[in-house]
Amino acid sequence: MTPILEVRNIRKGYKLGKIQVPALRGITFNVNQGEFLAIFGPSGSGKSTLLHLMGGLDRPDEGEILIDGSNLQDLHDNELAELRLKKIGFVFQFFNLLPRLTALRNVELPLTVAGLPEKEALEKAEEMLKLMGLEARVDHKPSELSGGEQQRVAMARALINDPKIVLADEPTGNLDTKTGWELVELMRKLNKEKGQTFVMITHDPHIAETADHMIHLRDGLIEGTKETPRRNEQ
Amino acid sequence: MRLSRIFTMAWENMKQRKARTTLTTLGVVVGITAIISLASLGEGFRLEIRDRMQSGFELDNLTVIPGSLFAGLSPDRFSDETVQAISNISGVKTATGVMQLGNVTLYNGNKEPVQAFVATAVNFTEFTQVFPDRFVFENETLLKYTNDTIIIGYKVNHPNENVTEPFAIANDAINLTFGLLQRAPFPHMEYQNYTFVVGGTLQKRGTPGITNFDYWIFIPLETARTIFARSESDLVFAKVYRSEDSERIAKDVEALFPPFKVTILVPLTFIKQVDNILNIVQVFLMAIASISLLVAGIGIMNIMTVSVMERTREIGILKAIGAKSRTVLSIFLAEAVLIGLMGGFIGMFTGYGLSFGLAQVLSSFIQPQQGTVLQNPERQQMTISPIFSPQWTAIAFIFAVVICIIFGLYPARKASKLNPVEALRYE
Repeated sequence: MTPILEVRNIRKGYKLGKIQVPALRGITFNVNQGEFLAIFGPSGSGKSTLLHLMGGLDRPDEGEILIDGSNLQDLHDNELAELRLKKIGFVFQFFNLLPRLTALRNVELPLTVAGLPEKEALEKAEEMLKLMGLEARVDHKPSELSGGEQQRVAMARALINDPKIVLADEPTGNLDTKTGWELVELMRKLNKEKGQTFVMITHDPHIAETADHMIHLRDGLIEGTKETPRRNEQ
Repeated sequence: MRLSRIFTMAWENMKQRKARTTLTTLGVVVGITAIISLASLGEGFRLEIRDRMQSGFELDNLTVIPGSLFAGLSPDRFSDETVQAISNISGVKTATGVMQLGNVTLYNGNKEPVQAFVATAVNFTEFTQVFPDRFVFENETLLKYTNDTIIIGYKVNHPNENVTEPFAIANDAINLTFGLLQRAPFPHMEYQNYTFVVGGTLQKRGTPGITNFDYWIFIPLETARTIFARSESDLVFAKVYRSEDSERIAKDVEALFPPFKVTILVPLTFIKQVDNILNIVQVFLMAIASISLLVAGIGIMNIMTVSVMERTREIGILKAIGAKSRTVLSIFLAEAVLIGLMGGFIGMFTGYGLSFGLAQVLSSFIQPQQGTVLQNPERQQMTISPIFSPQWTAIAFIFAVVICIIFGLYPARKASKLNPVEALRYE
């Protein structure tokens, strides 16, 4: 199986005042097409930094990241943006929806940015919201939606451009346990039914357990990996 | 991202912050209002002045005087052949020579004698052709034209403002004595009276210009030639067909004489100079008005910088979902453009409104001074009406948008350069 995402010996540090703080100290792993990967670790372990690097939002100090065969190091900022637009979907802990836009407009935004005609974009967005079970919430603004609903809108936005890979940064971190589980179920369903590749960051070991594959991160290093037997696997 | 969507997004953003948008736009409105009202009033003022100067100066007239102001006035005079040569120049309608007879004293029976400071000998027929608007009689026409005809200017005929009765009326017999300077070469003239019959009295014109006939009296050229025993003219007045040609014709006239032998007064040249000065003043006014637009631009920069800070997270989100820096830049720039367009559009109307209001106020304030070329007997009051030139309106409008873009560029660039990770982390 060809990996859709390759992370090769990534290092990344931050400057805190005058002190260089290493966040990632040499990380290597692959994610295959259709895989559901959980990156698990306590806060400060470098999970979010890793996710940002994988999404091309930031650049590593050392090492390479390949997404669908293209090395992010070789891409200009504009090309990275193009890659994020077409091949990556982001889901954030704090949803990061635009508060003044309706659910529909939020989901449609990546299509708008891609330059799709408005009518077509709205149709696609509505369909995607339906898939998330939010057909009744189409015209609501984020402030009128529950946390779970907001995160499902964010999920719809992440999937609208049919990305190769969805990067989710603590997607359940701001939801209550029940809603969190519902969201994880939804992600697993999309993973199974549509073959969508997911990389999910979490500090919750129970949620991490649901993934096909788990990477345990601590202090910027991979402490261990774990294969979880696929549930309902035939 | 499509341009139309960029603008809709920008518009939605602006609607979200109505008070702020209104205030920012107001700055542009004030700037454009200032520019448009100053431009239109300046133009109106310029035209009013030009109009008044044109009627004061008669643009289609040239005056040829002997000698040069600086190279020395010449005793040379103009022969009839020279006058003929001037009238033969292409574009010249009529040229007429006149004799200057200095000051004279007029006697009319028992009435208090009056002084006329400019006594002139002219060919009445030609003179009427050269000054159709100025050489105008109170009773419409010249009553008779014989060797003893005299025409009296308004102020000579009405030496005292408070006395309504004129010094002379048509057909009065007038006795005339010449001033000391004129009669000096002719000792026999000292006690000599010349009798003339009033052939007409002139209407009040009041416009000084070069030729204010109010203070003049006229006798026939032939008569003066007999009295003073000479056949040359002191001045030549020429009327041209088209005032635009007057500068070219002046050159042609000059070419008839040796260098520095004549001076030609060309009103067009003078008016052009004044017009030029007024133009400079107007540009200067516009420059001052533009400062207000510049201030509006700084306001836009200020507000947009704040807006970029407030929307840092939003910018991060846009970048995360794949918006290029260019797209973020255009979204913010589109707001600046919209503010410029709105401000420019509203400012056009308020500018028009303000111009009319200001025109009223200014017109009641400005009154031309007595005895200046701007005075016009038919229009005592200056009426400045704003003149809206499409060019100035377009320039002001484009200027507003350009200023908005220039000042919007800094915050918009700042927004587009934001690091997405930091922007997403921004609280």
